[in-house]
Amino acid sequence: MTAYVIRRVWQMIPTIFGVILLIFILFNWVGGDPAQILAGKISNPAQIENIRHQLGIDRPYWYQLWVFVKQVFTFDFGRSWSTNELVSHIILTRVGPTLTIMLPVVAITSGLAVLFAVLVAYVRGSLSDRVVMIICTVAMSVSFLVYIIVFQWLFGFILGWFPVQGWSEHFWKNLTYYAPLPIMLAVFVGVAPELRLYRSFFLDEIHQEYVRTARAKGLPENSVMLKHVMRNALIPILTNVGIALPGVFVGSFLLEVFFSIPGLGREVVTAVNRSDFPVIKAVTVYLAIITMVINLAVDVLYKFVDPRVTFK
Amino acid sequence: MEDVIVRLYGKRESPQAYAIRDFLQRSDVPFDWIELRDNEQARAELGLESVDDARLPICIFPDGTRMEHPTVRQVTEKLGWFRNPSRSEYDVAIYGAGPAGLSAAVYAASEGLRTALIERFAVGGQAGTSPKIENYLGFPQGISGAELAERAREQGKFDYDARVPGIEVQGDYLVSFKLKAPNYNFLYFLAMPNVVPVAREVIEGYAADTMGHPVGTGPYVLREWVRRSKIVLERNPDYRGFELDTRYADMADEWDRRAIDALAGKRLPLVDRVEVSIIEDQQPRFLAFLNHEHDLIDELPLEYVDQVLPGGKLNPQLAAQGVRVFPELQPEITYYVFNCEQMPKAPENPLAGYTPERVALRRAMVLGHDRNQEIQIVRKGQAIAAQSPIPPGVVGYDPDFRTDAQDPDPPRAKALLDMFGYVDRDGDGFRELPDGRALVVQYKYSVGGQAPRDLAGLWVKCMADIGIRVEATGVQFADLLNDKRVGNFQLADSAWIADYPDAQNFLQLLYGPNTDQSNESRFKLPEYDRLYEKSLKVPDSPERNHLYREMTRLIFAYAPWRLGVTRKFNHLQYPWVKGYKKHPILYTNWKWLDVDVAMQRAALR
Amino acid sequence: MSAILDNPPAAAAQDSPGLWALAWRRLRQDRVAMVSLVIVAFFLLMMVASYAGLIASDWNKEVGVSYANPSFMAGARNPEAQAVEQRNAAAKAPPVDLSDVDPLAPRYKEWAERAAKIAVHETKRAQTLPFGGDKWGRDVLKKTIKGSEVSIFVGLASALLATVIGTFLGAMAGYWGGKVNDFLEWFYNIFTSIPYILLILAFAAVATSTGKFGKGIVPIVLVLSLTGWTGIYRLIRAEYIKHSNREYVKAAQAIGASNTSRMFHHILPNVSHVALVQLSQYTVGFIKAEVILSFLGFGVPVDMVSWGTMLAEAQNELVIGKWWQLVAAGTSMAILVTAFSLLTDSLRDALDPKLR
Repeated sequence: MTAYVIRRVWQMIPTIFGVILLIFILFNWVGGDPAQILAGKISNPAQIENIRHQLGIDRPYWYQLWVFVKQVFTFDFGRSWSTNELVSHIILTRVGPTLTIMLPVVAITSGLAVLFAVLVAYVRGSLSDRVVMIICTVAMSVSFLVYIIVFQWLFGFILGWFPVQGWSEHFWKNLTYYAPLPIMLAVFVGVAPELRLYRSFFLDEIHQEYVRTARAKGLPENSVMLKHVMRNALIPILTNVGIALPGVFVGSFLLEVFFSIPGLGREVVTAVNRSDFPVIKAVTVYLAIITMVINLAVDVLYKFVDPRVTFK
Repeated sequence: MEDVIVRLYGKRESPQAYAIRDFLQRSDVPFDWIELRDNEQARAELGLESVDDARLPICIFPDGTRMEHPTVRQVTEKLGWFRNPSRSEYDVAIYGAGPAGLSAAVYAASEGLRTALIERFAVGGQAGTSPKIENYLGFPQGISGAELAERAREQGKFDYDARVPGIEVQGDYLVSFKLKAPNYNFLYFLAMPNVVPVAREVIEGYAADTMGHPVGTGPYVLREWVRRSKIVLERNPDYRGFELDTRYADMADEWDRRAIDALAGKRLPLVDRVEVSIIEDQQPRFLAFLNHEHDLIDELPLEYVDQVLPGGKLNPQLAAQGVRVFPELQPEITYYVFNCEQMPKAPENPLAGYTPERVALRRAMVLGHDRNQEIQIVRKGQAIAAQSPIPPGVVGYDPDFRTDAQDPDPPRAKALLDMFGYVDRDGDGFRELPDGRALVVQYKYSVGGQAPRDLAGLWVKCMADIGIRVEATGVQFADLLNDKRVGNFQLADSAWIADYPDAQNFLQLLYGPNTDQSNESRFKLPEYDRLYEKSLKVPDSPERNHLYREMTRLIFAYAPWRLGVTRKFNHLQYPWVKGYKKHPILYTNWKWLDVDVAMQRAALR
Repeated sequence: MSAILDNPPAAAAQDSPGLWALAWRRLRQDRVAMVSLVIVAFFLLMMVASYAGLIASDWNKEVGVSYANPSFMAGARNPEAQAVEQRNAAAKAPPVDLSDVDPLAPRYKEWAERAAKIAVHETKRAQTLPFGGDKWGRDVLKKTIKGSEVSIFVGLASALLATVIGTFLGAMAGYWGGKVNDFLEWFYNIFTSIPYILLILAFAAVATSTGKFGKGIVPIVLVLSLTGWTGIYRLIRAEYIKHSNREYVKAAQAIGASNTSRMFHHILPNVSHVALVQLSQYTVGFIKAEVILSFLGFGVPVDMVSWGTMLAEAQNELVIGKWWQLVAAGTSMAILVTAFSLLTDSLRDALDPKLR
């Protein structure tokens, strides 16, 4: 077990380096030169050269890459090129709002999806199963952008049930006042695909031999579903939630843009638009690391959920 | 410093050599520029194999030091201009040694304050680059911008307490400047809003993020700032306060009248807390205002103009709530830039040049572009067509100067193209160059917003209507700025808002020597440059307006631009906001506002 | 997905047409699948017709007034069009004399003569259009048809490319194993560790800014496929690992089939149903992703229209009561995507009946 974890952590190093390399190549290729924005309206080539020098982007590529690597390991990415805010401060302050929205979203979505999936799997093949599946497919087919535009207009403005947008510095006010509409939207959009997926997990299990055996033994259907099927289907569901978790940190940038939530997703999109390389570098690398750690955690968790799993 | 003779060797087009020359020139360092023409010369002078040697440019200093391929910073270091502070404490630190910064520094120093002047590049800032700023401070004997910079630098370096001739402090509240030769924008330079004396402790305490910690004596204190999202200001309890100055009020103006009713005789500011929401998307920004989540909305999004102001009048539902609209024309113009220069190594630019044939193509494109549609559809009528490069609200603007020179006229555009041989030979609906090769114009716009995309689409469509193929490419905003500055484009959109309200600030945008800076067209017309230089020496007068007009006619004739519009902005407020009047230059007016809190509460229920 | 393949000597020994024929028979019995198929076929037909210029070729023409009302609500107020009309009535400005400075002055006379000969024809703009107009007065219905051509093509082309990339790399990793597998897995891990939105934004920024990814819709297709191949890579790799030890592959080796032949002639047909299902899932995903890219400004060029650019344009129109563009683009996309997804489900069920 320990050996396994150590080996996996060891394997992360080349991947992290690959991420660093890929991001470095991509954004040096875009070349979006922040010096122009910083220089302001009247500036001459020499001033711009000077700003480039201050930012270090006139240095050779290998040197810049080395700085990047150093930044990753010292956790010091300096300041944003476009707002001069400390990158660490940006991440620390923006992650809160994102999590305030996204953690409830993941929890509610997964809970609802599992619940509905069990119910639907229970009546599999019936008309209601078919109808629910088709509703899910239809719901999945509408663009998220359309949902946001319509929901914001309908619930925020026409009906006035929720504020149209906004954010405060108080956690409870955010959670109870500003967050419900975006959360509702994300849940609404997220449940359908998960429900479909989880249903297939349940069906996979239902088709297994042991289920047939259990039924043959004369166990009541409820007991088969809850005790046997549920337990086994939870494994792929857990994986799926694990895969979704890193996404929580970026959040849905569309929601953040439309509801004026000062979150990480919006920050990342703006950073790309402004060629704000320090922010891009920091967010990407740390999210990549978080993704890998969560994947490892999920794999280890397997062991406890499913005794059949052994670590090689 | 006078005995330093630096010798600089380099190739003609070398940008590094240019940067160093520019720096030495602006810093008033005597230097010899030796332009290397061929390999032989390179060998003879420097012992290099060729003029393409990577070690060029080479800088040789009087002490014999030879620097190969130096950066400006290295040269600066070598000249010994990187200084440690000579004192441990200063009373005032001023950022930016531009004209305003310099005069502020000189002023502060002559008051006996220990002053530090901080400049990231050459002393003189913009003053060092522009001949137009020559002789702007009154010194007994004539002094050029660069000389002035040199003197100020020496003072900054050696003696902060030295008196500067020409500047006299007369009592606690009066300082006089004696100008040797007139400069008609001097007062504007002094009044530019980005000159702020900053206390020493601020620089020391917040060295890396001074702008994030505004320290001063103003009416409000920054309580919270989530960048790109939210700003919260609270009233500064130590602020001295002031009363509304009604001397210049126009009692015929309803905004002035209401402001006086609401504020006269009261100690300002009245608002205790200001919350500013920065909302990038338009739908939530607008809906939040309608929902009373905000009391004011600046620059009503264009999409909603015809709902809020149908036929130019406020929508009755909003009017019933007492909402008011403040319309504003900003001192700005938008324009489309034709790149008038064929850049080396770039694909052929059909718009470049001053021959009748090339001028005709640019002129035809101006005539073919349907600016009315831009105003009607993209800008929803919230703009007026620019009649000249000088917008309303700046000195030199002539409200009677209206011409059809930039009005769309597709038949004349087509006739012009036909006349100069831009005709469709292969029958694909698009014209070719007179020599028969394909004619394609590249248009660059910035991605992210709907308006730039619409404007690009309008160009593609209008040009297709007169038979010119335009390809539009969206690039990142930062890339577009860079491309426009270095000439890596053929056609792009641009805008300019006045730094100071004088026509000169706009006409410099086409002044030849400003190429690589603000002259994005890379327009170099000797006659224009001559008129521009002449206009600097004349005060605001019919004579100067005549010069401005002559320059405008040259712009129409040679078409380095397609003139766009001056935008109209509509600022909306609910009736509980009292005393509102948009300041013509400042972006904010919170210290002149009051809020009827009871009424605000009642509206929110 | 893999359940059937664990014990399929019978299935594998069969010719693949057998598998496909069987699947087709099952598909035909599925009513939902057949309805979906008809809808998808209809959209594809529309795409081809539009591409060939048979329909909606004049979508770009400004035939109506700004925000022309749909025919079925002809009487509704249209303040936008009224405003345009009022403002257009403004007087013309007087000319300015440039003749002393104008390089074109010598030919003024010829210019005026030529211009006079060029006819100007004003077209009357319609007050209503079948499904309303956009702000320029273009027909929203035609725009939607043209938009579906571009969107579906973008979806299909990028899904195809992503499937080719994913299948090829998956085949390499699964078949060869060892160092090749290690390298490709490293590559895969890099791509999946970076949050998708950041990855796609970075690629999109590169594609549009550098211009090195080609013109027209090529950049967007490349961006979607280069960032989206990972899922299919993983599945195909797993299939290849399983299959390369199967007896039929060993038999092929025994009769001297080369590695390439075994990879692509023998194994590929047996895993192609996995690729097909993925292909159709990807198509749906990419059609939706194009909307988000358009919202961010990285969509198709300005002289083209897609559902994404329509939705991006329409995002502020709902509030001003001009709902038709949003509805037209949103609904047609929803219909196609629903049909496509249902068809994909049925296809998977038909190809892999045990999963039902």
